[in-house]
Amino acid sequence: MNHPLHSRPWNLPDIVGIAARAILAATFIGMGISKALDPVDFLKLIRQYDTIAQPWLLNLAAGALPWFEIFCGILLLIGVAGRGAAVVLLAMLAGFTAMIAWRGAAIADMQGIPFCQVRFDCGCGAGIINVCRKLIENGGLILAALWLAGSSRSRWALRWSWSKEPASLEG
Amino acid sequence: MWNQARIVLIEALVVAAAGGALGWFANALSPRGIELGRNYFPGGPAAGLSAGGAGAARDRLAAKGLQALSHEEALALLQDPRAAQGEVLFVDARDDSQYQAGHIPGAWQLDHYRMGQYLPDLLPAALAARQIVVYCAGGECEDSEFAAVVLQEAGVPRDRIWIYTGGFTAWQQAGHPIESGARGSGLSPSPPASP
Repeated sequence: MNHPLHSRPWNLPDIVGIAARAILAATFIGMGISKALDPVDFLKLIRQYDTIAQPWLLNLAAGALPWFEIFCGILLLIGVAGRGAAVVLLAMLAGFTAMIAWRGAAIADMQGIPFCQVRFDCGCGAGIINVCRKLIENGGLILAALWLAGSSRSRWALRWSWSKEPASLEG
Repeated sequence: MWNQARIVLIEALVVAAAGGALGWFANALSPRGIELGRNYFPGGPAAGLSAGGAGAARDRLAAKGLQALSHEEALALLQDPRAAQGEVLFVDARDDSQYQAGHIPGAWQLDHYRMGQYLPDLLPAALAARQIVVYCAGGECEDSEFAAVVLQEAGVPRDRIWIYTGGFTAWQQAGHPIESGARGSGLSPSPPASP
């Protein structure tokens, strides 16, 4: 049974969508694994933001968030509930980015250096990194997540959306 | 369009709920998992944005009711004959890989994040000791302070516990003897001091 969409040739949005999925999936799976392998280190790093006062909530964030990121990354990779996963990652990225900017500004203020010279371990799973570089990277990831959240279909996806219309396209 | 947005939002909520449940289970099953009911940072808020330095560390210790030990005092205690008799104890609060790479000779290990792994062996010796010197990496590292609180809560009198604020970094930079591997495995040649 051939759906008419299946035979449609690839176009630019298809390619952008696949690239966005690959980049987001690789980023979140990779960083999630890095944190899951050393959750104590991640716990110490997120404590430095001083935004979560309750110990159990801080512990839950450090213990569960790495696996949560891996889970969302895998959903994007295989193309299941991709739009929902993209919205969740978008919300996380927006929150993380604001926290990184806030902490970078606080460090710059404390050390008396320009904002873009600040380097610290943001707890993102990539070690010590320049704050401006990290913000630019996150900006790119946010754009990728936005694109996917607005995409009603995607190539190479098992079940891209739960909407009743057949939204997934085969290659 | 609104119907599509509603479907996407519901999808996102289901993904968040499923991911949260999976994360909770995976953490519970992981041998490296975080104990949700524990306070890993007893005694105060994060010190990540402090001005740093020995003065800041001493202020922080004073606020937590802990006693600070200088580099010279730590060295003198290591050379004290009571150290060989177990009356003076050094406790390394860093993680296992850091401890194995090098520690103050004879130091016991107490990574308080893995308390159950180290405390049963350490506690009898700590209860018998007259003076306990706890250290971590130095600088903004607070793990020695948390380990000290763990020892206090386990019954070691507060006035016997001291925090070596310079930590292993200052010790190593001063070129003092270092032991690598297990406790009592012998001295390693000390690396040259960093500039």
